Amino acid sequence: MSNKRRLWQIFGPVLCAFILLLVIFLMPWERTFSKDAIYQAANSQTTTIFKGSRMKQNAFDDGYVPFYGSSELSRLDPLHPSVLAEKYHRNYRPFLLGGPGSQSLAQFLGMQGTAKQLKNKKAVVIISPQWFTKIGQDPDAFSLYYSPLQACNFLLGIKKTSVSNRYAAKRFLQMPETKGVIKSGMKTIANGQSLTSTQRFLLENQRRMLNNEDKFFSTFQLRDRIQKINGHAKLLPNTYSIKALDQIAKQQAAINTNSNSFGINNKFYKMRLNKRALAKLKDSQRDFNYTKSVEYSDFELMLHQFAKQHTNVLFIIPPINQKWADYTGLSESMYQKSVNKIKYQLNSQGFDKIEDLSKRGSEKYFMEDTIHIGWRGWVAVDQAVKPFMNQKNEPYNYNMRNYFYTKKWQNKPGMIKTTDKYPAVENRKAALKEK
Amino acid sequence: MNIEKEVLDILQDLTGEDLSERMDEDIFANGLMDSMASVQMLLNLQEKFAIDVPVSEFDRNEWNTPSKIVSKVENSKNE
Amino acid sequence: MNFNFINLQPYTNPQYFVYLMIGLVPIIIGLYHGHRLKIYEVAFSLVFLFLIFDGDKWQQGVNLIIYLLFQLLVSYWYLHYRQNGKNKTWVFYLAVVLAILPLVLVKFQIAFPKAPIPGVLAFLGISYITFKTVQVIMEIRDGAIKELDLSTYLRFLLFFPTFSSGPIDRYRRFAKECNVAPKRDQYLADLEIATRNLFQGFLYKFVLGWFFGTYWLPKISKAALIAGAANGGLKFSWWLVAYMYCYSMYLFFDFAGYSLFAVSISNFMGIHTPVNFNKPFISQNIKEFWNRWHMTLSFWFRDYIYMRFTFFAMKKKLFKNPIRLSQAAYLLLFLTMGFWHGLTWYYIVYGLFHAIAIIINDCWLRYKKKHKEQIPSNKFTKWLAIFVTFNIVCFSFLIFSGFLSELWFGWK
Repeated sequence: MSNKRRLWQIFGPVLCAFILLLVIFLMPWERTFSKDAIYQAANSQTTTIFKGSRMKQNAFDDGYVPFYGSSELSRLDPLHPSVLAEKYHRNYRPFLLGGPGSQSLAQFLGMQGTAKQLKNKKAVVIISPQWFTKIGQDPDAFSLYYSPLQACNFLLGIKKTSVSNRYAAKRFLQMPETKGVIKSGMKTIANGQSLTSTQRFLLENQRRMLNNEDKFFSTFQLRDRIQKINGHAKLLPNTYSIKALDQIAKQQAAINTNSNSFGINNKFYKMRLNKRALAKLKDSQRDFNYTKSVEYSDFELMLHQFAKQHTNVLFIIPPINQKWADYTGLSESMYQKSVNKIKYQLNSQGFDKIEDLSKRGSEKYFMEDTIHIGWRGWVAVDQAVKPFMNQKNEPYNYNMRNYFYTKKWQNKPGMIKTTDKYPAVENRKAALKEK
Repeated sequence: MNIEKEVLDILQDLTGEDLSERMDEDIFANGLMDSMASVQMLLNLQEKFAIDVPVSEFDRNEWNTPSKIVSKVENSKNE
Repeated sequence: MNFNFINLQPYTNPQYFVYLMIGLVPIIIGLYHGHRLKIYEVAFSLVFLFLIFDGDKWQQGVNLIIYLLFQLLVSYWYLHYRQNGKNKTWVFYLAVVLAILPLVLVKFQIAFPKAPIPGVLAFLGISYITFKTVQVIMEIRDGAIKELDLSTYLRFLLFFPTFSSGPIDRYRRFAKECNVAPKRDQYLADLEIATRNLFQGFLYKFVLGWFFGTYWLPKISKAALIAGAANGGLKFSWWLVAYMYCYSMYLFFDFAGYSLFAVSISNFMGIHTPVNFNKPFISQNIKEFWNRWHMTLSFWFRDYIYMRFTFFAMKKKLFKNPIRLSQAAYLLLFLTMGFWHGLTWYYIVYGLFHAIAIIINDCWLRYKKKHKEQIPSNKFTKWLAIFVTFNIVCFSFLIFSGFLSELWFGWK
């Protein structure tokens, strides 16, 4: 056998494999997911789904409404929004987006792929004041939610540099995960320049491959919670009644919190709060401060994205388990100040659908554990979600203010009072009336 | 002095088997010899033939059959 | 300054291989035509070494250079001493102690991070360079190495494909190959094996290793911790058993995959780095297992610790009974291996466990030899032996993983 032929036999297959792979990943594949797969994905809360595009796009076209949040979304008890929507055949189904550590910056990045699908539609955001620590987004958690695909979407979606996208690029550069051409693109934007044509070319190819990867593999590691939801739905009364639901919530919570005096879910208590941990946590949160945080500006990025999409958003601000806060020494007045600061940021730009539950942490069975809403808390959430979902879809306009990206705003002490009237809110109300 | 016979004697001491009919069998692969036995063999060879084989020079692949051992010993004697 | 450092840790992701292959092309073409492009090879290796230690890892790089100078000093001093015809035992011991001293300090540093030793910093590859220098000193002592060519020695120590985690080559073997080009027929055969190994490595490390290590292991670990906390006592559960098997598979596929890469890239460069794994899980006993698992490490320990110790002890007649001697030597070998892995209880227990296992195994082999007629040997006993060995090995890896420490004490 000649040497040339031998070489070809050795490297030929490798070469063919690479060419085939490249062709496959650069082809514009289309994929639609089955209804079951979407339903599973909507309730799975996996990072793959969070980071992807196609599944979310498919779902939002199909009547799913994004519920942006964090770890409270995984408190899947019988009163959870997903269970209620299923049981009472609502015209929407929640698409749960977020988990432990998915703060505003991660959420903002995750929102990049679905701007078209959410245009003039609705979204629900559960904002945890716990996000608003001094450094904001935890870099380690960010690594978990960082999606190169969405980073490409973010960069390629920029038509003109603005305060908002320069701020975002700077923040992404502070996170450890941005690499390669994405990193260089972020630097370009952060410096206020536009992407070069080489950068665009590289990013577009990368995006195409990542989009294909997303289409091929996003159903790959779904967590199946459908059985659980169906099981929970059986516990609920057949006709919707707040009173009856509240009764079920109380029953369920009573069984599940009987191991401790905090009203914390037994499993959580046993797993996370052994004697040693409890002793450590006593009075440990005295100095926590959520009023001064870079998170306020990160949060503004999310708002900016909603404004761009003209999305109608319902914001829910949960409380903290009062008994727990007393134990750890977390200051109630500090908490309220941060809530007010958040509300000011929302109201003054026209985001006026806010369900403020932050003062209800002492109601029995309202919380599932330390800081996560559950049982009766979910019933309260539903009383805001239900009417919100009955509204017609229509474009919403907001008055965005770059002031919220400044250090000055980040470090402003929390407001004690918020006035009820804001020009932006009033203007829009007036505009709507004219219609 | 018959080198082959002496070597086979040493090996018989160590393995308990007569290897005179199995000169080309891999005595490590079939479990007759191990590292410990090789060290003993090296020491015995040193005593019997007054040759110096340091452990560094002991490469299993060059010492793994009785005939290879015999030729190794013959070579060292001739050096 | 806003300079963007590219930092590449060897074989960690598929892109790495793209860069590597581009760099290898001139070497491959050269070797194919019978030329070894030594200067290019050195430049290529230095670039990839630089990429390991640049950016925020530069301090490691500085330590590597200081460490190398120190090792060269020790090796050449000892070589010079031996070339003068002197051969005192204490000088030999001193040379060995000096050669392993940096590694010992680093191991202490890792075990007790709260008590920093000034100037000591672990860097990638220190363990494996130490294996090479100690080996050279021992062979200088034996007179097997009489000359050390500086450039060959440096290329041996810094040989880039095996730099981070082996396989551990031998100086004399390496020196024979590294200055010549292989024959074309031989090289074509090498390329064929190298390509196959490379792809087998992909399958092992990036597919199977990923499934076991990244996909399943964290889930099993979580479940085992929860079930353990719920069961109380020694915190055992079936999840722990699952963890044991899953971790063992991960360890094998990850490390065997890495080793295949290292051997493959060596082969592309015309160097026959010894293989590290040879179907370890079909071993019928622990002794055979160590001839098949992480082979270059176990052979290193066999040749430079076990055999040397038994040779010395037998010559000095330290032990009357050769069985006791071999048992002592096994303990020495495996405890050293345990300490080498790190100064933590589970590494040391892992070493002890294997020492005891191999001692028991030796007893059994002797008993079997004596009672050849009574003990059946057939297909069934063969599979039974494989099954038992496999489970003992997996159990030892459970110890090695440190998961028990996490389960019981909450730290690893």
